[in-house]
Amino acid sequence: MTTVRPILLAEDNPRDAELALAAMEEHHIADNVIVCHDGTEVLDYLYCRGSYKSRQHGNPAVIFLDLKMPKMDGLEVLRTIKNDADLKPIPVVMLTSSREERDLAQSYALGANAYVVKPVEFHQFITAVKELGVFWGVINEPPPGINSAS
Amino acid sequence: MESATQHPPAPLPAVSPDPTDPVAASTTVHRPARPRLPTWIARWSIEQRVLGGFGLVFAGIVVISAISYRNTSVVLHNSRLDKASHELMQLLASIGETLDAAENGHRRFLVTGDESYLKAHRTAREQAPEYFRYLESLTGAVPEQRTRVTTLEELINRQLDAETKAIAQREKHGAAGVRHLALSGAARLELADIHHVIADFESTEQRLMQARVFQSTSSTRKTIGLLGLGAFLQLVLLGSVYYLIHHDITARRRIAAELKRRGELLQAANKELEAFSYSVSHDLRAPLRHIDGYASLLAKTASESLNDKAQRYLQTISESAKQMGQLIDDLLVFSRMGRQEMLHTTVDLNQLVKAVIHDLRLGLQESKISWTIGTLPDVSGDPAMLRQVYMNLISNAVKFTATRSQPKIDIGAKPGAPGEVNLFVSDNGVGFDMQYVNKLFGVFQRLHRNEDFEGTGIGLANVRRIVHRHGGRTWAEGALDQGATFYFSLPIQRPPG
Repeated sequence: MTTVRPILLAEDNPRDAELALAAMEEHHIADNVIVCHDGTEVLDYLYCRGSYKSRQHGNPAVIFLDLKMPKMDGLEVLRTIKNDADLKPIPVVMLTSSREERDLAQSYALGANAYVVKPVEFHQFITAVKELGVFWGVINEPPPGINSAS
Repeated sequence: MESATQHPPAPLPAVSPDPTDPVAASTTVHRPARPRLPTWIARWSIEQRVLGGFGLVFAGIVVISAISYRNTSVVLHNSRLDKASHELMQLLASIGETLDAAENGHRRFLVTGDESYLKAHRTAREQAPEYFRYLESLTGAVPEQRTRVTTLEELINRQLDAETKAIAQREKHGAAGVRHLALSGAARLELADIHHVIADFESTEQRLMQARVFQSTSSTRKTIGLLGLGAFLQLVLLGSVYYLIHHDITARRRIAAELKRRGELLQAANKELEAFSYSVSHDLRAPLRHIDGYASLLAKTASESLNDKAQRYLQTISESAKQMGQLIDDLLVFSRMGRQEMLHTTVDLNQLVKAVIHDLRLGLQESKISWTIGTLPDVSGDPAMLRQVYMNLISNAVKFTATRSQPKIDIGAKPGAPGEVNLFVSDNGVGFDMQYVNKLFGVFQRLHRNEDFEGTGIGLANVRRIVHRHGGRTWAEGALDQGATFYFSLPIQRPPG
């Protein structure tokens, strides 16, 4: 691993975020995780504004996006990302409790790269998050330019 | 008591215009107050009301037509009689003239002996039978006039005979023989009588005519009155029929509007339900995940300092959370089965049952269940939903025969009502008490303790919901400790074309 690519976790529920981080800790990728608590914060991060004004420029390796979030929900964030030529290449994984067909269909229609339902069982959850983090953050080769500081 | 307000309010005088109206009392729909129909009419269907109305109208028309026909016949008859009377009076006048001419002629002959004066007498003589026939034919059935005809005929004959006799005497004895006759005329008295009778005849005929005119006038008046009455009656009845139809149509329109309103309410309720289940799927899962997650984290972090008892508590917390997760998933499936669009294809139940058993057997390698599977028909329906039905019924059968040393499961079909087939899944498991049969298919209804048989109490509710959506029924038979049979009916696949 030559470059450290951050993983953006958009999760309004601090417990879910903590459990996700606990899962990723097992594979020592938790340090690279940036947690946003609502949709606007995700966009603030991506556009380097607000509290992320001074962050190092560059897109994250992957965004784990919850559907239901305050201020701006996951689908709206997804629409904004996929309508922006610069952000469009970032892989977006929907990580949600909803198994509703409508949510699945809308997410894929807007260009989500994957859709994962959070399992209730902790061991399954831990496995899922771990594998997602490893796959998207480590194994998957991102599109060119995703790491280039602009 | 609070619950007392749920009872319908007692009818209070002068509060509602019609407190007995059940519709007005039970719903809040605002509609203008309408006069209520008599109950015996209200019991009739719209068809009966219309038929009744038209029957009355028809009967009215028939009666009025009959009376009018009779009256018009009288008028026509009278006018025929009037025509005869006129002719009769003309005839009488001409008879009078003819007889006067004959009398005059015969007297001149008696005086002069000039035969040319006899022409009138001879004409009268010749025409007398003709006159009589004509007279009789024109005289009606009035006895008074009949008698006069006879008298008249007699008198005429007598006059003519007397004249003939006088003429014969004149020819035989010359003018001297008949001098006394020549002055006064041979039939002077008869002629006077004849004129007298004719006058009577005419005056009677006039009287009869007047009576008939009076009768005709009154008949015509009555007919006009009756026709007017009939028209009025028909208007009234048509009005009533219109009212009845209008009443019914108004009621139907009101019901249609009400149905539409309820449909909209139902749609809104469905939307709400959808939002609710969405919310359940989202928000109820998160805390469960946290319970299981943190219990697991605690078990891991503090595993060394926890004793066996504390470990078991944490285990139970995790298991309970998982169980509730399963419950939520089952409920969501149940909710989806009610809302999801249904497919309608031909489903080969033999294949479907084989697949279900294959899937279930994965965990039952060492199972000793003896399966009896009959020939199943092709049915019309949604394959995924029907799969769910067999999945639930067969896994139930497997679950409830688990305690048997020789479990048996029987799957088959029996002929049902026309166009339907009854399908069944039967087992020799623990069965159930028939007094609880109505609870079997309800949501969250369980007849067994969780320690004995696991379950969420949604499987059979799901079966019922799916079968109902296919237009079928579900029912069950069983006895405690003697197995159970679950039936459901489905429409048979229609033959192609």
